[in-house]
Formats: sequence, C-alpha cells, structure tokens
Amino acid sequence: MAQLQTDEGHAAGAVANGGLAVHIHDVTVSFPAPEGRLTALHDCSLDVAAGSLTVVIGPNGSGKSTLLRVIAGLLVPDAGRVTIGPAPDAEEPRAGDPRVGIAFQQPRLLPWLTVTENVELPLSLAGVPRAERVERAAAALRQVGISDAARLRPAELSGGMAQRAGLARALVSDPPVLLLDEPFSALDALTREAFDTELQRLWLSRRRTLILVTHSVSEAVRLADAVVVLTARPGSVARRVPIELPRPRGVDVAAAELDEEIRAALASVHPPELAAWTPGP
Amino acid sequence: MDAGPVRRLVTAVTSLAVFVAAWKILTVLTGTPEYILPAPDVVAERGMRAIGSGILWQHLWATLIEVVPGFALGGVTAIAVGVALGKSVVIERVLSPYIVAAQAVPILALAPLLDIWFGGGLVSRVLVVALIVFFPIAIATMVGIRSADPRLREMLRSLGATPGQVTARLEIPSALPVIFGGLRVGVTLAVIGAVVSEWVSASTGLGVLINIADQGLFDTPLMFVALVALAIIGLAFYGLVVQVERRLIQPA
Repeated sequence: MAQLQTDEGHAAGAVANGGLAVHIHDVTVSFPAPEGRLTALHDCSLDVAAGSLTVVIGPNGSGKSTLLRVIAGLLVPDAGRVTIGPAPDAEEPRAGDPRVGIAFQQPRLLPWLTVTENVELPLSLAGVPRAERVERAAAALRQVGISDAARLRPAELSGGMAQRAGLARALVSDPPVLLLDEPFSALDALTREAFDTELQRLWLSRRRTLILVTHSVSEAVRLADAVVVLTARPGSVARRVPIELPRPRGVDVAAAELDEEIRAALASVHPPELAAWTPGP
Repeated sequence: MDAGPVRRLVTAVTSLAVFVAAWKILTVLTGTPEYILPAPDVVAERGMRAIGSGILWQHLWATLIEVVPGFALGGVTAIAVGVALGKSVVIERVLSPYIVAAQAVPILALAPLLDIWFGGGLVSRVLVVALIVFFPIAIATMVGIRSADPRLREMLRSLGATPGQVTARLEIPSALPVIFGGLRVGVTLAVIGAVVSEWVSASTGLGVLINIADQGLFDTPLMFVALVALAIIGLAFYGLVVQVERRLIQPA
C-alpha cells in the first residue's frame, strides 16, 4: 500500500510551529437563489490556533465547503470578517492568497497536463524556476505516495490517485494554512485509515494550520485537535469538541465517549426531515 | 482498434478509384460531349499538358500565395478577437453586431469594395481570404473559451493565477478542440475566398484559370483541371489542420 511519507523523524513539539492562526468572526455568506438568497453560513464564528488540526463536520449543506472558500479568500462574506495571522498584523485572505492552500473535494486537475505538471502548477504560476519546481513537485508526490504516477495524465488515474495528486498540489507550496475538503473521500475505508495516519504524521512533522472537512466521525476523532460541528443550513458552529488524545494516534484510537459526543451533536443539528440519517463510519 | 496508415491509404485509393470509374462509365453511357462533362482520362491528359506548359503551376502558385497568408492572417486575428469576445461580455456586446453583419454580407459583394480600398493587388485578395475565414474561427474560439470548466477556473483563482494566466493555462487549452473545429471550416472557406477574390481582380490564379478556360475557349477539360487542383488544395490544407490538431490535443 502506498503511504504518505514524512520528511524526517519527529517528536511532537520538537518541530517549529509554521502555521498561522485563523479567526472567523460572525461570518455570513449567502448565494443568489431562484427565490431570494440562500444563506449558507450565518453568524459563524471560530478561532483556529496556529499549527492546530481542526476537523469540520456537519450535515450536507451545512456550509462546510463554503467555510473553506471563505478562509481561502475565494468568497467574500456578506457580513463578518476572516483574518489570518497573529493578532496585530492579521490580514483578511484574498483569492490566491499565498498563505493558504486548498485541496477541493474533486481533484480539479488540468486534463492536458501530466500529474507532475499539475503538481508544479502553483509554483509555475508564481514563476519559480524549473529546476526547483521539478524537485519540489517530486517531493510532494513522494509525500502522497504517487511518485509512480508522475508522468501519467489525470484520465489515467483512479479516483483515489487523482485525489492524492490534488493533495500534492496543495502541499507543494507548503502554505502556513492548509484547507482540505474531504481529501480521502474517494479512497476505500482501509486505505483511508492508513492515509489519516500518514496525514497526521505529515502534520506532526510540519505543524502547519490544517483545517479538514469530513463526513466521518471516526476520521475526525483520529485526526483532530478539535472537532467543529456545524449546524444544518444556514451553518454556524453548533459545538466545538476538543480531542485531547495523545499523538500519534493509531487507527484503533479508543475514544468511544468522544465519538458518542460528536454523533449526539450531529444528531441534534440535523433538520427534522433527516432525523433518520446516521453519521458515516 | 485504429486502422493502420496502410489500411487507411488502401481505403482512400479504393474510394478514389470507384469515383473515377463511375465518372468514366457515366460519360461513356450517356455519351455526354467533352465540353459539358469530359471523361476523367481526358481531364488527366489535359492536366498533364497544363503541367507541362507550366500554366497550371503558375495559377496554382498564385492561388496558394492568397490562401496561405490569408488563412494565417484571418486565423490569428480571429483567435485573438475570439479570446476577447469570450472573456468579456462587454466586448462581445459591442463587437458582435458588426462581426455578424460583416459575415451576413456576401463576400462576393465585399470583394469589389476591398479591391477599391486596397488596390487590385495581392493585398486585397489576401484580405478577402482573411475575412471569409475570420467568422467561423472567431465564433468557435469564443464558444471554446467560455466552455472552460468553472471548477478549474476556481482552482486557478485559488492559486492566484492572473487573468492572462487563466487564458493561457486553462481557457485556450480547453478551447482547442472547438477552435480546431473552426479552423477546419475556415481552411476550406479560404480556398473559396481565394477564387472569389480572383474573379473580382486578378490575372493569375485557379479562379482566373477557370474563367480563361470558360470564356471563348470552351476548354471544359481545363476547367476540370482547375477544379481538381482547388479540391486538392482544400484537402491538403484540411489534412494539415487535422495533423496539427492531432499533435496538439491529447486524447482525453
């Protein structure tokens, strides 16, 4: 099985914190809809510590992806404010903000480029010299375990490989804030667990701020410093559950109580017509 | 499975042979006189004489130097304008009525005007060719530019791509198959444009050769020689465009 590889040996705390804090304050986002506007997020507030790993979970349509877009500066909120950085000189993100990297739910690879060329894209857009691009893209591909696929085109990849290529593209510029929207949804359960472990190791070795969206409660507990449960649309933070389990956590992390707490929070925020819905594995 | 080049050649030659045979049989069975429908062997013989005397080359060359620069000029301008039309709704609103109007006026009616404006030389004939190829290529480019996947646009925006980078990295590559559709139409129109421009003002060219063969001479076999030469030019350039397209566009 391919593995996410880390750069070197590590011990939690020994690595410099290279992340930036993210503050989300009373953010409201709405979209034009056939009748009036559809409010995706309403008065959503959240503080994410620099170098922490936050997992966002919530029912469908609770604005999880919208929240990531606002943090990435791709959407400007109707009201409220998002800032990135330490208090005095925190700045609002803008589209293409070099402080933020995002991996979308779909890999969004350019079909006419090879995997390597796709991963190099953020660097070539920024005018990084070729030799350095090649080297850094190769390193990013090693990290996500698809070096073998470097010269393939997206059409030749499986869903999971394409997702990993998208992840490598987000990793290649090593941004202080990394946003992942269901990064492993195309992987089977076993591979996914292995990747969660490797992602955790990668994060431990680098300590960037990582915000990850998922539907999986067990994945949330395995990875997070804090699990943020969003309400149904319009989304806002229903609960913030700190996960203070020792790291590195394995696949068999025993946290039945936390699991139960998050599931209960999810059940409580579900719209009534979806009451029968049970959260994923 | 893709047919090999040998197999494709055999198919083409067979189809040509059947066509020529049917043509020959038609002339023999109906007894049509030569000045109405000459038999293929008569046309071939007239063609050899036209080649031998150098007259065919002279006129073929005259047409080629209209078709090639005209297609290149019209094509490059059309792609540039098409990109602008595709990227800006304002530009499209302002320009498209004029572009459509210019296309709606028959080229045969515009050619004399260009002839007056630019003198009866090569320049005005190249412009006629450029004008006739412009429309299909510009519209194809505009449609292609707009067809770029909005999710890929957002991805590039998240990476801080400038509008120019979005055009170069996403819009043009994803528009290429559509642009080449326009180029295929345009390259065959280029030959038509060349003949039209020659009928308005020229002393050499395959269009002129048809007129020479027609007026007074009733040299119908020579007309057919010119027609076949025009068809070959059209096929050759069309094939060239298809080859370039194959090189540039990866099978998805």
